[in-house]
Amino acid sequence: MAIYSGGGVIIMITSVKKQYNSTNNEFDGYEMVKNGITSTVPLDPDNTDYQAIQEWAKIEGNNITDNGA
Amino acid sequence: MALTRIQPPAIADVREPNFRNIIINGDMQVSQRGTSFASNGYTLDRFTMDESTDGAVTVTQDTDVPAGYGFASSLKVDCTTADGTIAAAQYCGFTQNIEGQNLQYLKYGTSSAQTLTLSFWVKSVKTGTYCVRFVKEAGSGTRYECPIEYTISSASTWEKKTITLTPTAGSTSLITAANGAIVNSNASGFRVFFALAVGSNFQATNNTWVAGSDKLGTSNQVNFLDSTSNNFWITGVQLEAGSVATDFEVETFGQNLQRCQRYYEKSYNYADPPATTGSGGSNGLQFGGATANIDATVLMSVRKRAAPTLTVYDLAGTSNKASYYTGSWSNGGSLGGSRAKETYVHVDTNISSSSIVAWQYTAAAEL
Repeated sequence: MAIYSGGGVIIMITSVKKQYNSTNNEFDGYEMVKNGITSTVPLDPDNTDYQAIQEWAKIEGNNITDNGA
Repeated sequence: MALTRIQPPAIADVREPNFRNIIINGDMQVSQRGTSFASNGYTLDRFTMDESTDGAVTVTQDTDVPAGYGFASSLKVDCTTADGTIAAAQYCGFTQNIEGQNLQYLKYGTSSAQTLTLSFWVKSVKTGTYCVRFVKEAGSGTRYECPIEYTISSASTWEKKTITLTPTAGSTSLITAANGAIVNSNASGFRVFFALAVGSNFQATNNTWVAGSDKLGTSNQVNFLDSTSNNFWITGVQLEAGSVATDFEVETFGQNLQRCQRYYEKSYNYADPPATTGSGGSNGLQFGGATANIDATVLMSVRKRAAPTLTVYDLAGTSNKASYYTGSWSNGGSLGGSRAKETYVHVDTNISSSSIVAWQYTAAAEL
């Protein structure tokens, strides 16, 4: 789904999954698929992909997958 | 650090930073992601394409430059699919966002707010009126925008343009009032948008600050996408405090690259775009260990603006995978997790059959 971010970028996010730290099992980021590429997005409000995920998750039908630690 | 100071500052009370040019990579020399881009998003370093029409464009790093001025690269926009009628909610243009904490010397939000001057070289097959949109980001206050027209007079001819942006453009006081302040943080504080097509929903009055959002140009903006014959080139983009356009501030390639790397960095050779394939482990970061499932941490070249988005590639160019060695190299190995902070990248592999792994990465902390 295309989102006009207000920052001037069209963002194509297809899925987002919570990522847990393999050492301490803490939720430490998101695994995001955007434009067919899988990346890790930190829990940093200054990161523009983190901001885009928050907007993406507000749209009906979009859900952040949580498979647990 | 500036190599040469060509002229004195235009205004005596401007506290000049080391870099006179607020725009990064204005000479279009640095392009870490590749040299041709058919999708929206980042293109040459620090410049994003934002096309939302029924047409299409491709951005390339080009060698067509104004002769005799010392430039080697330009940003070229090629209309590849035409859209003869731009609908109200459609637009096209490219942007550079600028970090707010770098702009406090402009004194926005006070009666001493500085005039800005934008200069650039431009060439277009399609002549007529174009717009540059300046945005003072909201921060914790209000977003203000000011589109300003310029004219491309001669088809397919390099022309130098100079645009002056005053804090009171249109006899307004938005920028000189407290809400006009630029956010003092690592967030985007200011934005320069070069319009190529602007639907009526996004049009505003020429050279007038206005509150609100998405005022991308004026009603006079040409429709650059009306023919696949249309090409647009730009280089030598400089935004500076004061009312005089000084000569383009020359940087070495290394300086320019380092400034860009605050926002984006890759482990690949400079000439190799992300997902470039490599043979065996010879073209990736290689890590060995006595046990399987090897973890590795890599220090990045430049501290990032914020914790970056990390993309790990195996040597076949597949994201979220690593390559591994078991007598010969294989690709598609699983990751146990990966993360990045402002200064480092950390990757856990989950490959029990190998004690040597290899991968590449990109780290993006764009605005």
